[in-house]
Amino acid sequence: MTDANTTDTTDNTDTTDAADTTDHTTPTAETAHASSDDARAPVLSTTGLTKRYGNHRVFEAVDIDIAPGAMTAVIGPNGTGKTTLLKMLLGHIEPTAGSVSYNGPDVDRPMGYLPQEPAFRPQFTAAETIDFYASLVPAAVDTDALLAEVNLSDARDRRVSALSGGMRRLLAVAQAVVGDPPIVCCDEPASGLDPSMAQRVFGSLAGRAADGMAVVVTSHTLSLVEAYADHVVLLHEGGVAAARSPAALCERFDATDLWDVYATVVEPAATGAPADSGGES
Amino acid sequence: MKTLAMGRALLGRELRTAARTRSYYLLGLAIGGILLGLTLGGGGAATGYIPTVVDLLLPLELLVPVVAIAIGYRAIPSDLDRGEVAMLDTYAVSPATYVGAVYVGRAAVLSAIIGGALLIVGLLVALTAAPDTGVFATHSGVDSPILFGRFLVLTLLFGNALLAVVLLASVVVATTRTAIVAAIGAVLVVVVGGEAAILLGVLDGVFGESTLQVALGLVPNSAYRGLVFETVVGVLSAGESGYASPLVSMGGLLLWTVGSLGLAAGLLRWRSG
Repeated sequence: MTDANTTDTTDNTDTTDAADTTDHTTPTAETAHASSDDARAPVLSTTGLTKRYGNHRVFEAVDIDIAPGAMTAVIGPNGTGKTTLLKMLLGHIEPTAGSVSYNGPDVDRPMGYLPQEPAFRPQFTAAETIDFYASLVPAAVDTDALLAEVNLSDARDRRVSALSGGMRRLLAVAQAVVGDPPIVCCDEPASGLDPSMAQRVFGSLAGRAADGMAVVVTSHTLSLVEAYADHVVLLHEGGVAAARSPAALCERFDATDLWDVYATVVEPAATGAPADSGGES
Repeated sequence: MKTLAMGRALLGRELRTAARTRSYYLLGLAIGGILLGLTLGGGGAATGYIPTVVDLLLPLELLVPVVAIAIGYRAIPSDLDRGEVAMLDTYAVSPATYVGAVYVGRAAVLSAIIGGALLIVGLLVALTAAPDTGVFATHSGVDSPILFGRFLVLTLLFGNALLAVVLLASVVVATTRTAIVAAIGAVLVVVVGGEAAILLGVLDGVFGESTLQVALGLVPNSAYRGLVFETVVGVLSAGESGYASPLVSMGGLLLWTVGSLGLAAGLLRWRSG
């Protein structure tokens, strides 16, 4: 797992919150202390996190603190390393430099994971799938309560092969929170879902965050991020371009909504583009 | 959570998946039908267990690898494609536990299919063969159900060794689309390649009598054939047959099984960071 996942940190930059002095054209100058406006100690921190594949730099010197009881959304254009960052938090990818440190409680399952395109054994029912994952944690798990939480009670005895894509994702959300891990990482949980299903997934995750879980999501659906996320980390050009609560970002960039912020930072030329904050970026 | 408990949960999942996979039942029917057809067509059933073993040995050398590939080639790549291996990683399931449970589950399926078919063949021999085959004996010169039982066990050892090789090949490629090609390729390299190498070695005079026995024991098909000759067919004749070294052959099959599974678990650990 990611705790004790320590590598070379010589690439570290200053980790003080440099939000107010950030130049939009030099995004790596900003650090992403997701909990900067939160008194609670972070459960997960990255220090100088860097990933390169050969000569290709994905991102460099990323410092993020993940706060408990909040939803942190990582947004940014395709190829900026959102999924890579998430997998590094989970310990599935080794960083080129920097480290990830887990500071949460000592539990058997510190992190849950919802992959980008989750799927399960098609021969199993929804309830059997959750029962199987529940059998891997020492704590007692109420399968029916979990399925009810993600609105899948009516589908509890339906085989996975008979569930829609959205329902499978909801099932994956239930799987991700089995055993109540302190952190849950979700890779584009709303991707490919209809608006109501996407809202349901985000609503479910926000509920978990409200209950104290640290929820980290990557997403392209800015309207949902704006509605549900407590903190937003915008990755661009190899680093953190901006990081704050949605409202604070709008205020800082004098923007009407998150899409406006995104356009200002990522596509300055398109700032005058239609502010369809609900659309895919 | 204890590794054993996790392994039990994973094994239960494998067995439940297998029990609900219709194609496995069809595969079992097909294998049973082929073996029964060969037994009846070969005429060995009317004579006894050993003639039946002789009739089935070569076909099984071809059928068992096919069953091992069919059962094993997509087990792990499917879980990788679905993201389930990454999800399982968050439950602290080690690659060794995961690979071990998948293997045991699939080995149970292979054993049920091949073993079930051979049991039916054995029953057929018991009902149709000459009366003296009903003697339960292992000493020289007497055909016996016990010898057929040995043949069954050796066939399962052979099949499960190849299943481990198939699992390793599927972890190497890691995607369901290429897993079938990798599995077939691996089995061909191990089985055909191994025997071809031995043949070339004999022709070039590389192998002496003792080293040839070792080399034969290290190729799964040759090891299986050697074990069947030594402990089943050869029992009918007095004295040492000298076809193969049972110890080396048994060691060879175990080495392929344990070695392949160990490599598969190591590779999966490396892949998942």
